[in-house]
Amino acid sequence: MTGATNGRLREFSRRTAFGALGAGIVGATVASWPRLSGTDIPGRGDNSLSIAIMGTAADAAARQRAIDAFTRLHPDIRVKVQAIQAVDWKDFFTKILTMVAAGTPPDVVYVATEGAQLFADKLAHPLDEYLRRDAADMAEFFADVHPSLVEAFMYKGSLFQLPMDWNAANMYYNTTAFRQAGLDRPADDWTHVDFRSNLAAMKKARPQDFTPYYWTNRLFGGVVPWLYANDTSFLKETKSTGGDWLWDSFYANDPSRSLRSGGYQWLEPNADDPRVFESFDYLRGLVKDGLGVRPEEGGGSSLVGLFASNRIGTTPAGGYWVQGLHEAGMKENDFDVAFFPKRRTQRHQFGTAGYAIMKTAKDKDAAWEWIKFSSSREAMELIFPNPGTTPARRSMVNEALYKGKGPAHWKVFYDTLDKYPTTGPIPAPPQQAAVETALMKNVSLAVSGDERQLKQALDSMQRDLEIALRRQS
Amino acid sequence: MSTTTRHREGQKHTAKQAAPGAAPAQSGWHSQRLLAWIFLAPTILGMGLFTLVPIVASVVLAFFRWDIISAPSFVGFDNFATVVQDPTVRVSFLNTIVFVLVAVSLQLGLALALAIMVQEKLPSWLRTFFRSAFFFPLILSAASVSIFMRYLFNEQFGVVNWFLSLAGIPAVPWLTTPGGSAAVVIMVYVWQNFGFSFLLFIGGLASIPTETYEAASLDGATGWRKHVYVTLPLLSPTTLLASVMAIISALQVFDQPYVLTRGGPGDSTRTAVMVIFESAFQRLEFGQASAIGVLLMLIIMAITAAQFRLSKRFVFYQ
Repeated sequence: MTGATNGRLREFSRRTAFGALGAGIVGATVASWPRLSGTDIPGRGDNSLSIAIMGTAADAAARQRAIDAFTRLHPDIRVKVQAIQAVDWKDFFTKILTMVAAGTPPDVVYVATEGAQLFADKLAHPLDEYLRRDAADMAEFFADVHPSLVEAFMYKGSLFQLPMDWNAANMYYNTTAFRQAGLDRPADDWTHVDFRSNLAAMKKARPQDFTPYYWTNRLFGGVVPWLYANDTSFLKETKSTGGDWLWDSFYANDPSRSLRSGGYQWLEPNADDPRVFESFDYLRGLVKDGLGVRPEEGGGSSLVGLFASNRIGTTPAGGYWVQGLHEAGMKENDFDVAFFPKRRTQRHQFGTAGYAIMKTAKDKDAAWEWIKFSSSREAMELIFPNPGTTPARRSMVNEALYKGKGPAHWKVFYDTLDKYPTTGPIPAPPQQAAVETALMKNVSLAVSGDERQLKQALDSMQRDLEIALRRQS
Repeated sequence: MSTTTRHREGQKHTAKQAAPGAAPAQSGWHSQRLLAWIFLAPTILGMGLFTLVPIVASVVLAFFRWDIISAPSFVGFDNFATVVQDPTVRVSFLNTIVFVLVAVSLQLGLALALAIMVQEKLPSWLRTFFRSAFFFPLILSAASVSIFMRYLFNEQFGVVNWFLSLAGIPAVPWLTTPGGSAAVVIMVYVWQNFGFSFLLFIGGLASIPTETYEAASLDGATGWRKHVYVTLPLLSPTTLLASVMAIISALQVFDQPYVLTRGGPGDSTRTAVMVIFESAFQRLEFGQASAIGVLLMLIIMAITAAQFRLSKRFVFYQ
């Protein structure tokens, strides 16, 4: 009996020992397995300066060289970059706002024109006091950056961001398609009539599997540049007073000083302007005659591939396209870029982006140091090593940046601002998301039917914009 | 043996087990009950935390104005009044109802027809293949499928129009006209979702006793009459379940129209859930978004209740 009991005990102990060993191995493996935890979220669990950018983990890694250089200058400030993947800027801002709601806002956010006034109105801290304090350090930056870009970040007389990169809507064209149609490079002052005749020539030369003009339905590069070229917009553009402190400090001798203000304002809809009808009617004509596509909703992610495979003749885009076309296999002479065609004016549209300090930032002084450093030539060269965008510094838009990638007339990018100083940002009031939805939802209908449908679509746009601007105002 | 008989026998069986000692049986009943609660606890907790609390929060929020950033302020029924007057909201609800009518009819019709075909006409190995093949789209991400479909249905360069061009048919503006975009959204949705109804119908068909068909054959019912007089009535509980689930799912459609058309052109493919998303996450009107959500929830509840009420007339249990 005793022996039997002892035997069971021995057996039990051995089984227990094996079990414990097994559990130990599993436990140790699980414990040592690399995994994410709450403390991996940038800025959580330490006092690092957390910076949110739109992009992938690779984009965050690409910032690492800039962070390293910054840390050498400011060893006391720890920086963490958090890349947030998003379909577009609207989606990115949504995610930032969700972080705000969750009580974990970043300290600094990379914000494009689309969200500049939303952040300035509700979330961001003005840079005025820092700029006044460090005016001597910042003079070199402003001397290298066009005032139009700076004005786009002015809101009610205060500056909320420093422009880091930007893109105007220029006209890209496929040089092979132009050559096949017997066309020369467009003149700098070509008009919308010239543009249409070029499209017709391309269509005649390549009737199959080719679209002379491809455009997407969105705020940047959609209908807006056509409206600007016709000296109008879908929102009434006014400017607020103030901001003299900045213009007098940094742009006193700039020839366009008198044009500058305390920031843009878009307070009323303008879709019932006859010039808006005129611009839409022009685009409707292109669609009707098969010279241009009905604009697709959403982003133009498929466009690079289609353009690179010579199936698109022209499309509006900014300097951000160069690297994409290069990676898609286009040689530097396969494409080129021209100014946007003229109508009543040759005013272009642009979008720009830069860092904004959040009102909730733990250490605003440290955040300013990061912004100041990021605006330096050294940092911008680290952050923008290739033509995936247009750097805000004029001196960086140079031969070296486009060497081996094209286009031949890369000077067009910065000349857009220098030659057309009234060039303005895309209309983006604090209610930008609602405004963009109201615009996009009516554009396709406006250009896809007859004149009556166009009139109805613009009436609908006017009504939708009124509602959009009333909201959250 | 009917379900009722089985249930009663089960009761008797339990009673017999409990009879010999009242106290132990009471204790066993208590421990079984405790065990049941322990096993149910994670589900109840999850449901409470992630379903019930958000529903209550959403209903409460519908009476507030809140943009995430500022503090919420009580506005009574203002949000409801605003959204009811908003033409975009009204159109989106109308679109959703039309979508439900068309998509659910197609989904159930297609699923039923294919289920009967697969169950009756095919050898078992092919049956297995088709069950998996038809269910496969359901496990794919709706957003990925929709991105893929955008390329397929591109007017200028899409594969669909290329095939049509081979037959001499001119390019169809699938995603840039109201009719075309609505058709594509419905097609993509039905293609992706009919597999679930198909599986339900396969299960329902398998549960119909072969003797019933043999009896119907003896009475002279063949071909489609067999399905009209035997299959459809006996499948009615499955049809009820499939239609309730399909309607609830279709009323909440979002991914396909959002990715394919962003609700356009115009408002032609804008759905109720899209308007909720746009109000909340793009315009930061969480109160109005909640109000639309509450209205949609009431509609779903009303439709489901009506379905169950009407089901008494056409659902037959064996």
